[in-house]
Amino acid sequence: MTFFTVVIRGLWRRPLRTGLTLAGISIGIAAVVALVGMSRGFEKGWQAGLKARGTDIVVTSREGSLTPKRFDASVRDRIASLPRIAATCNILVEVTSVEDSDLMILSAREWGCFAWNNLELVSGRMPRDAVEETVVLGQTAAEVLKKKVGDPIQIETKQLTVVGIVKGGALVEDGSVILSLPLLQGIMGAPNRINIIDVRVTPSTTEQQIKELTRQIGQQVPEVRAVTVSEHLSHSEGFRLVKAMSWGTSLLAILVGVLGVMNTMLMTVFERTHEICVLLAVGWTRGRIMRMILYESALLGLLGGVVGVAIGAVGVKVLSATPAIKGLLQPDLSIALLGLSVVIAVAVGISSGLYPAWRSSRLMPSLALQAG
Amino acid sequence: MSASNGFLLEAKNLTREFDEGQVKALRGVDFSIKEGEFVAIAGPSGCGKSTLLQLVGALDQPTSGTLLYRGISLPDHPNPAAYRAREVGFIFQAFHLLPTFTAAENVQIPMFEIDRSASERRDRAFELLKLVGLDHRLDHFPSKLSGGERQRVAIARSLANGPALLLADEPTGNLDSENAQSVLNLLIRLQQEQGRTMVLVTHDATIAERAGRILRMIDGRIVAEDKR
Repeated sequence: MTFFTVVIRGLWRRPLRTGLTLAGISIGIAAVVALVGMSRGFEKGWQAGLKARGTDIVVTSREGSLTPKRFDASVRDRIASLPRIAATCNILVEVTSVEDSDLMILSAREWGCFAWNNLELVSGRMPRDAVEETVVLGQTAAEVLKKKVGDPIQIETKQLTVVGIVKGGALVEDGSVILSLPLLQGIMGAPNRINIIDVRVTPSTTEQQIKELTRQIGQQVPEVRAVTVSEHLSHSEGFRLVKAMSWGTSLLAILVGVLGVMNTMLMTVFERTHEICVLLAVGWTRGRIMRMILYESALLGLLGGVVGVAIGAVGVKVLSATPAIKGLLQPDLSIALLGLSVVIAVAVGISSGLYPAWRSSRLMPSLALQAG
Repeated sequence: MSASNGFLLEAKNLTREFDEGQVKALRGVDFSIKEGEFVAIAGPSGCGKSTLLQLVGALDQPTSGTLLYRGISLPDHPNPAAYRAREVGFIFQAFHLLPTFTAAENVQIPMFEIDRSASERRDRAFELLKLVGLDHRLDHFPSKLSGGERQRVAIARSLANGPALLLADEPTGNLDSENAQSVLNLLIRLQQEQGRTMVLVTHDATIAERAGRILRMIDGRIVAEDKR
């Protein structure tokens, strides 16, 4: 028998309670994995989409939710002449319901600009011009909407035709309905309005010079914000809200886990007062008693973490395959996130066990003789 | 006082009070016990004999007085846990075995405090359970053992680290007369064969009669001492 055997027996003493506590931690950790994984996936997906379009700087309004607030397309003319800007592309992005899909990205691009260049036809053709009432669908969007080339597609009150299926090189692009800018402006009743300007800089522009350029754009047009692709989401109100909610919910779940483990370990100490006193009476040090309780709570955390990571990873995969989410994001279940989740779970276990361990070490061994 | 004067245990004017002096469990106890002696502390319920045993086992601290083990003050002992682990073996009336551990594992519990490998602990537990006649019950949990068997496991546990001093608090109090005799005979045999010192607390005069010396207690004092 090793000390670890003693620790395992302590947990096995009340299998139902241990199981329920494990379930509590697992759900908390699964929430961390799912929510943080989704939010990171969302972030990475948008960045990959912007990079796939060849964008270096994103110009948006200073306000907005999930999609930025619209502004006048003439803003582009005020920044296009700035040095080191090679090309610009006016874009209107909306996230809305399309037919049976509750959330679909509509990505309307200025006809002929560089943002069309990364789209690789899988079938069909591209729209012929800016005014043809057609769309191309990213592969995932076509799958979610169950559309093929030649099918009609209803966007708000307008019926358009799917003329092509494309690969966009990023999840966001693949999950979008892509159309010409004037078409969506017409559908939305927002002529000459856009909410994004993608900016491509001249080759050999350094990171430092790109930063400087964003500052110059901000000076030139104070009502907009220019940021690099990597900074884009961190400035998005919508994304910041999503991120805050995912961490907030995760922290709540972790707090519930902490209270659950602490409750279990305190109950354990109360129930095992007599046993702990016997251990003290036969010569166990207070340090060993504390270690026993802490190892038990850490083991609860570790097991809960491993199970929670598994539940979270499977759950988020299932969730991201549902029609409502599919194409919008690919969860980022990196080893770092999974490892961090297990570390959080063990930390939850240890921190929850500190007070019960201290309580247990304060018990008087003489109680062992008094108890009949 | 620091010299042992050949005594294993010495107490001078030992007192123990509870509830801010309202309850006086020990009212000035003096005794000395030599190495290898079997001493019974006898007296009615509530006379302070278990309190005295707790002080000798470093489970509790006296209110005043002197209590020495091999000339070292027990209340000032720098490491009471080590004293309990290495020098003392406890046998309780209610056995106090841990219910989620087998007989062999219960015997190994005190051995975590001394430098022994897992296999050495297991071998030692087997040896001790054989000594108390329970080598066929190694893997039985306490709930599957009779009262007499449980007390034998507790005796094996008390011997785990080879203590010089055995402290038995009403060791036959929860047993029928046949098992009580058997357990008492075992304790005396082990004490005599291994030359250990044993202090046994009992309210039963016939059990006390088996000791080499009886310290009779009433109301927190030793009122008589009988040598056999």
